Amino acid sequence: MNAISKLDRRGFLISALAVGGGLSLGVIPTGAQALGKDGEPCEFCPWITIAPDDTVTVQVPTPEIGNGAMTQCAMTVAEELNCAWPTIHAEFASTNRNFQQQNVYANGPGPIYGFFAGRSTNAGRLKPLLQAGASARERLKTAAAQAWKVPVSEVVAKDSVLTHAPTGRTLRYGQVAARAAAVVLDKEPAPKPRSEWTLLGRAAPGKLNNAAIVRGQTQYGMDVRLPNMLYAALMQSPVHGGKLKSYDFEAIRRMPGVHSVVVVDPSEPRVKLPFDSPLPMSTSTAQSAVAVLADHYWQARKALEALPVVWDDGEGARWKSTEQLQDAALAVCESPGKVMLTRGDGAGPLTSGEGRLVEASYLTPYCEHAAIEPLNGTALVTADRVDLWHPSQQSQQAFCVAVEESGVDPKNVYVHQTFVGGGFGRRVFGNDVRMVVAVAKKVPGRPVHVIWSREEVMRQGRYRPMEAAKLSARLDAQGMPVVLRARAAGNGHSLTGLQDSVYAGGAIPNVQMETAVMPIHILTGPYRGPSYNTNAFFAESFIDECAHAANIDPLEYRLKLLAAWPDPHWAKCLKEAATQSGWGQPLPRGQGRGIAISNWSGGGKPNAGTTVAAVARVEVTPAGVLTVHQVDLAVDPGGVVNQDAVRAMMEGGVIFGVNMTLNEGLTVKDGRIVESNFHEYPMVRVAETPTIRIHFGAVSNGERFSEVGEAPVGPVGPAIVNAIFAATGKRIRQTPLRKQDLSWA
Amino acid sequence: MSTTITVNGVVHKVDADPSTPLLWVLRDHLGMTGTKYGCGVAQCGACTVQIDGVAARSCQAPLEALAGVKITTIEGLSADGNHPLQTAWVDLNVPQCGYCQAGVLMAASALLKDNPHPTDADIDAAVTNICRCGSYVRIRAGIHAAAKALHAQHKV
Ligand code: FES
Ligand code: FES
Repeated sequence: MNAISKLDRRGFLISALAVGGGLSLGVIPTGAQALGKDGEPCEFCPWITIAPDDTVTVQVPTPEIGNGAMTQCAMTVAEELNCAWPTIHAEFASTNRNFQQQNVYANGPGPIYGFFAGRSTNAGRLKPLLQAGASARERLKTAAAQAWKVPVSEVVAKDSVLTHAPTGRTLRYGQVAARAAAVVLDKEPAPKPRSEWTLLGRAAPGKLNNAAIVRGQTQYGMDVRLPNMLYAALMQSPVHGGKLKSYDFEAIRRMPGVHSVVVVDPSEPRVKLPFDSPLPMSTSTAQSAVAVLADHYWQARKALEALPVVWDDGEGARWKSTEQLQDAALAVCESPGKVMLTRGDGAGPLTSGEGRLVEASYLTPYCEHAAIEPLNGTALVTADRVDLWHPSQQSQQAFCVAVEESGVDPKNVYVHQTFVGGGFGRRVFGNDVRMVVAVAKKVPGRPVHVIWSREEVMRQGRYRPMEAAKLSARLDAQGMPVVLRARAAGNGHSLTGLQDSVYAGGAIPNVQMETAVMPIHILTGPYRGPSYNTNAFFAESFIDECAHAANIDPLEYRLKLLAAWPDPHWAKCLKEAATQSGWGQPLPRGQGRGIAISNWSGGGKPNAGTTVAAVARVEVTPAGVLTVHQVDLAVDPGGVVNQDAVRAMMEGGVIFGVNMTLNEGLTVKDGRIVESNFHEYPMVRVAETPTIRIHFGAVSNGERFSEVGEAPVGPVGPAIVNAIFAATGKRIRQTPLRKQDLSWA
Repeated sequence: MSTTITVNGVVHKVDADPSTPLLWVLRDHLGMTGTKYGCGVAQCGACTVQIDGVAARSCQAPLEALAGVKITTIEGLSADGNHPLQTAWVDLNVPQCGYCQAGVLMAASALLKDNPHPTDADIDAAVTNICRCGSYVRIRAGIHAAAKALHAQHKV
């Protein structure tokens, strides 16, 4: 790389350089690309190119995992660029370029940490993209004004056409793109105020990649096909942290298509990253593994199944059963943990206060993300270059891991981000990248496509942690809590969802929250709404128990608790969900409604994060068969830029919450995960989908555009168990519900 | 050892072990990656194709059983991506990650062929695919919308 252009003063690059990246297949040489020559697109800044045929291409750092982040970034640019929507295309931004050009994409305000992860509407992303769009638009106008020799103030830019207002002369964006891209403005334009937006918050375009999806043309990680490519079937130590003892290649050597066996040894020395990673590298650690390489995947897989392998299970094998783990976690909650939060006299005795003492212990299991695209990736490693084609949820993390695992100069490491068949947090940490590169580097010069079977995905997760919690509250004479105490135990969890709940944030005067981390070998990681997905279940089940102890309607009880909360939209969400659901109206015997509220990412502050309230209506037969009939969900993410996209996330989030609560829970035997595939880890399907109604009546239209994917996963589960209580009088404190006895009468 | 199969009207000679599932024949031997692997055990439906017009999980169909049958994959569902289901899917923004949707579309199009006016219960029975993103509400709506569009087409 010899011609890195200079950054202009506002960090928007006027560059004659396009570094390969994005979705392109094949090995793309880096090198200079002349501005606008031969119909090539002209680069206005690292985010935007415009081609002579008017095509606008936006470089998007966020992978597209199904939440529409790619489309959202393009929509944000279009708001200011005033281009016709059909001219917009999106590509995945190059992490290599970001490295070589000093965070040219990850330099917006806000944390760099998550910049290449799945978000799209936080201020750190909206601002640079709006600015980039505005800047490109003004430069197009300036170029047209120069061509017509008129003042730029007389030029209007709309729908990819520049019009000289007094004379009606027109030029298309593509016609002046080359000239415009070279324009240096005296002053960067200020993006218009939100009140003047015409696209954001008003239009709701579908995902740009829908047309390709419905034709089966979208390229996911699984669909990468390269000349001379080998397929690898992977098996990691069935007990996490165990080690490969031996294997017998001779037993499979002559099976059809078999190429070789490759071993991944975590203790092998690895080079240190030659730069400071903005991301935690420890999360990507390799596991001891063996992989069979063959001409086709089916051959590799059959040979792996036939390969004799002996493992040293290590420490983890001491956990004989799920019950042993659960009992240990519940026992830990009986003694003080590390204090994470104290408010008022939260540390004081629970005996003060005139009302009842309410105490309950809860338990949630390890859960697997089960993204429908299995983990996989393809790498071509040579002595001085790495190309990785990967369905990453964090392509910058993928870049860093590929550099570290290969030891190749980062300048020569290229991550080609593919579309992603579901993320839910599983593809954030880069351990999948680590394993792919670790296998491929043993076969230098040949692309290797490494595939986790579904069974391998399920048993080699970075799971939603198992967590036990004990909650205690002392009520006052009116039945409202004066002291709240929470103790949680598990591995890999935090107190998000409890510590930042409205109850800890001021609604209850005296609070203490403690946690204990247990030395358990089972690997954990972020799973849609990390920790929140569990802790909201604890908090909202427990508040329901307090309401019952106080003999107050659960909706009314929550509204009382929220009475002094400075953000009125919490109460609005509760009322909206309740009203829409028919709260309070009589139901047949065996049916009940339950309510819950939570907030994702607001950090316990008012007017922050995404607030969601849910009402579930369930039916339980006397024999204990549960049906979730309806979920009403009211949301307040602050502002909404694409209502249909938010609605889709809410609908999917409700299903995720229902499935997590009803179905999901891994079991452990001798340190190994027992479940292997969907017949043992069931998923809700169309037939079990409740009526889902998403309500926007409580939207505050606040400053923020908070992320929406995680939020709905919080209140759905507790709303369901609270509804079961309403229907049957039975309080369920453990999931998955399919393993609990719900029978009554 | 080679086997001859017909996919989307095209005859292919495939050199693969006769026990190789159709899923991997399509993906690795014929380079048709629209049909997806999700579970390999007939659970998820991501691999759904049509065999003689009937929805089938291709991970369960060995190559040796496929001589003489007509296989249709997502790539052959329509000439221009304009099957009413595909149109409805785009209009209603059905897909999230999209990985499961080829299988869903193949199951849904088989249903509509047999049953142009499916009820919710018919959809429940015929579309048993897993969508981890949870697009089920829109899958159902998309099938109803496509059924309506088909009906309108036939009236014309
Ligand atoms: S891959 Fe065939 S049903 Fe899942
Ligand atoms: S759209 Fe992602 S699994 Fe269905």
